[in-house]
Amino acid sequence: MKILAVCGNGMGTSTIIKISLKKMCKDLGIDAQIESCSAGESGSYLGSTDILVCTPNWEKLMTIPQKVKVVSLINLMNKAELKAGLVNALEL
Amino acid sequence: MAVLNFILTQIFSQTWILFPVVSFIGYLALGEKMSKAVAGLIKTAVGVLVMAQGSSLLIKTFTMILAPLNAKFGMTGILLDTYTTMTMTNNALGEFVTWTSYTMLFAFILNLVLVALQKYTHARTVFLTGNVMLVQTAIATYIVYRFLHTGALATIAIASVACALYWIIFSGILINPVKDITGVDDFTIGHQQMFGSWCAYKVGGKLGDPKKSVENLKLPSWLSIFQDNVVASSSVLTIFILIIMIMLGPDVVREMAGNTNWIIFAIKIGLTMGVALYILLTGVRMFVSEIMTSFQGISNKLLPGSVVAVDCAAIFSFSPNAVLLGFISGAFGMILSTLGLIAFHSPLLIIPGFIPMFFDNATIGIFANKTGGWKATIIVCFVAGVIEVLGAGLAASLMGVNAWQGSFDWSTIWVAVIYLFKAIGSLFGIMPV
Repeated sequence: MKILAVCGNGMGTSTIIKISLKKMCKDLGIDAQIESCSAGESGSYLGSTDILVCTPNWEKLMTIPQKVKVVSLINLMNKAELKAGLVNALEL
Repeated sequence: MAVLNFILTQIFSQTWILFPVVSFIGYLALGEKMSKAVAGLIKTAVGVLVMAQGSSLLIKTFTMILAPLNAKFGMTGILLDTYTTMTMTNNALGEFVTWTSYTMLFAFILNLVLVALQKYTHARTVFLTGNVMLVQTAIATYIVYRFLHTGALATIAIASVACALYWIIFSGILINPVKDITGVDDFTIGHQQMFGSWCAYKVGGKLGDPKKSVENLKLPSWLSIFQDNVVASSSVLTIFILIIMIMLGPDVVREMAGNTNWIIFAIKIGLTMGVALYILLTGVRMFVSEIMTSFQGISNKLLPGSVVAVDCAAIFSFSPNAVLLGFISGAFGMILSTLGLIAFHSPLLIIPGFIPMFFDNATIGIFANKTGGWKATIIVCFVAGVIEVLGAGLAASLMGVNAWQGSFDWSTIWVAVIYLFKAIGSLFGIMPV
């Protein structure tokens, strides 16, 4: 299971979300590989991504392959919403 | 004793060893598997070394332009860019550059301690924007050393205190404004324009109507290309460098270009600087991500009730139009002040970089818009742009470097800090280093 967190810079927001996602996956008992990157670099990652986490803004600007499930939130810092989106995407 | 000496002088005196060790210990402390900890160790080391390569290429390339700029026009070039500033101040620290890594570690620890003692300190926020922590602690370390010429322990201690206080105080004042914007109290902003954002929020209401929010307007969609940071920062840098090369003229450039056509050479230099910045950022991204995993894990474990201060980009989605309008207005302010300085025969040639132009003004724009609508956004960000440029010029001159952050707080609050240390230094008869 490969999860990708994307933000503009690939450093600030996506790093923090990556850490939240790691914990959530651990709690849910999911073995996932979680990466973070900038929208500009996402092209090289998306080919092998299962779940993409980003804001609606970035979702519009990236070319996302069909098979990728997108968790798109305005407030990525909200853990409850993030977990709900993740659970939804994992179809648990 | 010899072992301790070896550890101190050979291992902990190098950031490319220190930070990986920190990552490694951090991972293990958080209960991660040994294999993950080792991977983190390696990634951190590689990240630091990649950043070093980017820095040296950046300085080497930029220096090529600075000398002729000074010779021909008597102007000192000052690039407004976050990482270039850090590279220059690190360079100025010379052999003491690893002190900056300790400042980052101790400022973080101090932040945690002050929040743990909330009852007495009223400190609520834990600053977790790793890339910003890296840059600010590095520059602060040089500010202290330059004017006070203190030894390792004193410099690191003073710089750590300065940073930790700045982080806590200014991310603290934004807790309520951020709550107003996001509608929830999940986080606050920890970045480089916190004072600017707070001012914008306070002043916005007097300049415009919050009901006339810029989010109600429709902005042209092509503007959103500016959000692709990597492409944008490199392009802006390339264009400005090219303009400077053209200003220098074919004769000067030919001296550097050798057999290559001067325009083609100029383009290559511009692109090389963009590339250098990209390499630098790639390295930073790698190791900051690793270190912040540890930092954040520790913060979550020890202080679960604290408010995290994160990257300004976290609120961008809440007000995307303000991001763009703030950026454009701020960009105008910055470019016009740059031209104004030239018109008034200033010896400083300020080259606005994309990073402060975009991130700072976008963030300030969101706060201005919240209380004052689109009018406040335009006015506040324009003024912010002017302040950012003028303050940066002042700071760079005081610091004797050819770059400055260009971020609002670093053109205001930290200029005051520089003056403070400068005054203390001259009180004790210490010459700036």
